[in-house]
Amino acid sequence: MRDLSERALDAASAAGASYADCRIINSRVQRLTVKNGVVASVEVFEDEGIGIRVIAGGAWGFAGVDDLSPASIEEAARHAVSIAKASSRVNRTPVRLAPAPALVGEFRTPVVRDPFEVSLDDKVNLLMRTDEAMSHLAQIRVRECSLEFGREIKHFASSDGARLDQTIIESGGGMDATATSDDEVQTRSFPNSFGRHQVRAGWEAIEAFDLPGNAGRIAEEAVALLTAAECPAGTMTVILDATQAALQVHESCGHPTELDRVLGHEAAYAGTSFLTPDLLGTFRYGSEQVTMTADSTRAPGLGTFGWDDEGVAAQRSVLVDRGLFTGYLSSRETAAAIGQVSNGCMRADGWGRLPIIRMTNINLEPGTSSLEEMIATTEHGVYLETNRSWSIDDRRLNFQFGTQNGWEIVDGKRVRLVRNPIYSGQTPEFWGSCDAVAGPAEWQMFGVVNCGKGQPSQLMHVGHGAAPCRFRNVRVEPAR
Amino acid sequence: MSGEALLDLGDRAVASLSHGEAEVIISETRSELTRFAGNEIHQSVAERFRHVRVRLIDAGRTGVGEVRGHDDRAITLAFEAAEDSRRVTAESDVSPLPAPTPGDGDEPVAFAEATAEATPLGRAELVSIITDAAAAHQVNAYGALSTTTTTTAIVTSAGLRRSATATQASLVAVARGDDGGGYASRHSADIDALDVPGLASEVVDTCERNQGATTIGPGDYEVILSPYAVTDLLEHLAWGGFSALAVQEHRSFMRFGEKLMSDMITIRDDARTNEIFPFPFDDEGVSTRPVTMIDRGVCSAVVYDMPTALHDAIASTGHSLPQPNTWGPLPRHVAMDAGDTPWRDMAASVSRGLYITRFWYVRDVHPLRTVITGMTREGTFLIENGSITRPVKDLRFTQSIVEALASVVQVSRERRLELGEGESGVLSPWLHIGRFSFTS
Repeated sequence: MRDLSERALDAASAAGASYADCRIINSRVQRLTVKNGVVASVEVFEDEGIGIRVIAGGAWGFAGVDDLSPASIEEAARHAVSIAKASSRVNRTPVRLAPAPALVGEFRTPVVRDPFEVSLDDKVNLLMRTDEAMSHLAQIRVRECSLEFGREIKHFASSDGARLDQTIIESGGGMDATATSDDEVQTRSFPNSFGRHQVRAGWEAIEAFDLPGNAGRIAEEAVALLTAAECPAGTMTVILDATQAALQVHESCGHPTELDRVLGHEAAYAGTSFLTPDLLGTFRYGSEQVTMTADSTRAPGLGTFGWDDEGVAAQRSVLVDRGLFTGYLSSRETAAAIGQVSNGCMRADGWGRLPIIRMTNINLEPGTSSLEEMIATTEHGVYLETNRSWSIDDRRLNFQFGTQNGWEIVDGKRVRLVRNPIYSGQTPEFWGSCDAVAGPAEWQMFGVVNCGKGQPSQLMHVGHGAAPCRFRNVRVEPAR
Repeated sequence: MSGEALLDLGDRAVASLSHGEAEVIISETRSELTRFAGNEIHQSVAERFRHVRVRLIDAGRTGVGEVRGHDDRAITLAFEAAEDSRRVTAESDVSPLPAPTPGDGDEPVAFAEATAEATPLGRAELVSIITDAAAAHQVNAYGALSTTTTTTAIVTSAGLRRSATATQASLVAVARGDDGGGYASRHSADIDALDVPGLASEVVDTCERNQGATTIGPGDYEVILSPYAVTDLLEHLAWGGFSALAVQEHRSFMRFGEKLMSDMITIRDDARTNEIFPFPFDDEGVSTRPVTMIDRGVCSAVVYDMPTALHDAIASTGHSLPQPNTWGPLPRHVAMDAGDTPWRDMAASVSRGLYITRFWYVRDVHPLRTVITGMTREGTFLIENGSITRPVKDLRFTQSIVEALASVVQVSRERRLELGEGESGVLSPWLHIGRFSFTS
């Protein structure tokens, strides 16, 4: 790979680039799905290519190609420069990058057992046992479970002298049980919705999920939801399970702290942010219970790596410190715009897409409470589990989430299962009403595997550590 | 490579098969995009790749291998991966590979040489029409102009052999002033057919009219939805309800023969019309037939792929995604029939209501009831006594699509080609809806 990257950088420089970097990536993804007792698909996806990013004439250019022949790479480098020069004819402001050291090193995701060394037969067997355990209730119309494994070998080189090699390994899995009646459809998922729970770890993570051991319970819960009472409506206390808290963090803290959104780079698509630079260090984002971090060093999150995709080292930053808004997710270009240095959040969806600011592991730091204590000290409210729907405005203020199920709490006890719950609010008011976060024992790293952003669209895997947490005076209602 | 060259590659791959059946899909894509923010180009990118997907079927077992890159080894690697995965699957009712049918190849395909030959400089010059217009009005423009050329070839051991080359040019823009913004988009197979000055005028005009919006309370409002917003409704119906698999799994709202919507509502899928990026075949190589899903308000039909067609013992309508999959078939050329009201006259009959330019972050809340939620964005206006009077702040809606389409008052005679969130073409009119629920 090194020879090819040197060729790319040399070609870019010869064509007139004042800066260039490139990423050569070889990746392999394996997906297995069992649906209703049948192996619905076993797919293997292999991918290889190079992405070359340059500055020429003060503007950015980028070209990616899957042909790694020397001639193709040189042509792609020249094309990236020609793109930059075309843009420079429209632009008035030259690109400026915050300084960053040119690093050299290697990183590999720590795994106990490489998932690609586990046989396909063993993987299919695990899914078939999971499916069978969901199959005993007639009302379960659709059973689906899946595993996904990824390995990405990436070489980064820049004209500044950075030379970085990384091998990233991911393991994920999950199940959905869908129950139907004449007038209702209800789905329960485990360990998370959206098909699977995924981490940067090996086969040991899949074993820890214990998919077969949880399948019967998940099926029973889906059936119970068919006849459960509708969620009560009103303003009440809400307790989120860790998976839903993770998504709440993703949408209402992760995205609005992306500095490219703040500066307008995403205004035409993903949107902007209410967390403008004048609020940095002074704005009360949430209560004293709320501390949020960006931490790309924290295994086994999906945002854990050695260096980001412009060569900045993995690190931990505090975004919200005991309720106070204190930091952004940044890149070398955006950090320079506010007089800072990058905190290493540039990530690309493969070799063919331009790195943009993405979440790493955006975590709600653990508190001192527990789920049991939160429920016991709640007079009236709902405990909500596992996301079903999610929507938030383009500045990340007005949100509405739905979960797969809820438990009504009365006088400190779970009294009944309720279905179709949704809750809504405004981001600062919501986090300002947080009065308890569970402690480290209930804190877990979850992830989002379908975070969309950018034009052309890029999907990113991002991590979120979270624990159950409680909010007061939240609007709750059933989906009608 | 040309379609014929990719077919030759597929022929050679299938000819190497020693046992069982094979489907080989080879596509080559060249995609470029110029993105702008604050009246400057901040990202401009190009991507080129070949994608090979091999499906092997033998003794009731199916395996799939996909490869991007890897030069001349790609097809071999894909076959090896497919065989590895086929080996571990259990015997099951595999739907057969479709056979070629007479007349295949006569259908239209969206292609324009100007799009295929578009350059970074050409895109920059088109973008500057928008940024110059914005700057002249003291506002900032943001957006993206993309050009994509894709050649797809499908070859199977059952004798099917099809290819097509399609192009797409898409331009979206937002203009932002000190206290509000506007949105506009244009899409075509032909970059030269994009009305860029018209888009620039529309987005700047909407932005200027949308300054200083004031708050109005949530509640039920009469609304006029622009085609940008109607596209979201149609796309969510397509995802959740117009698939035969959703019906077979009791997840669809469709109740055949029942009238669930206004008789002004007819919704079709038509991959043959030049108005919606025509494309001749689906991902199994089956010709995509027109299907009317909602006929004057009545649930009429859904779309099929080979597996769902086998289940119902009928023919596929040619709406397959790559097989095998658990999502089922999908209509990707959805159109709502036009009405007879000029869209500019639609507000005249509204005493108090809202004009909605676009929705944002629309998600299913209860798919069986077709309840969705989302926000309005970049152009929400109050209608009073038949006229648009002033901008209002964005609102969240939570609404059943079917119930909204049951209360339609007028359908415009004009329609626009839009791209939904799933990036399929959708041909949408303006809609005047009697009641739409805003929740915050």
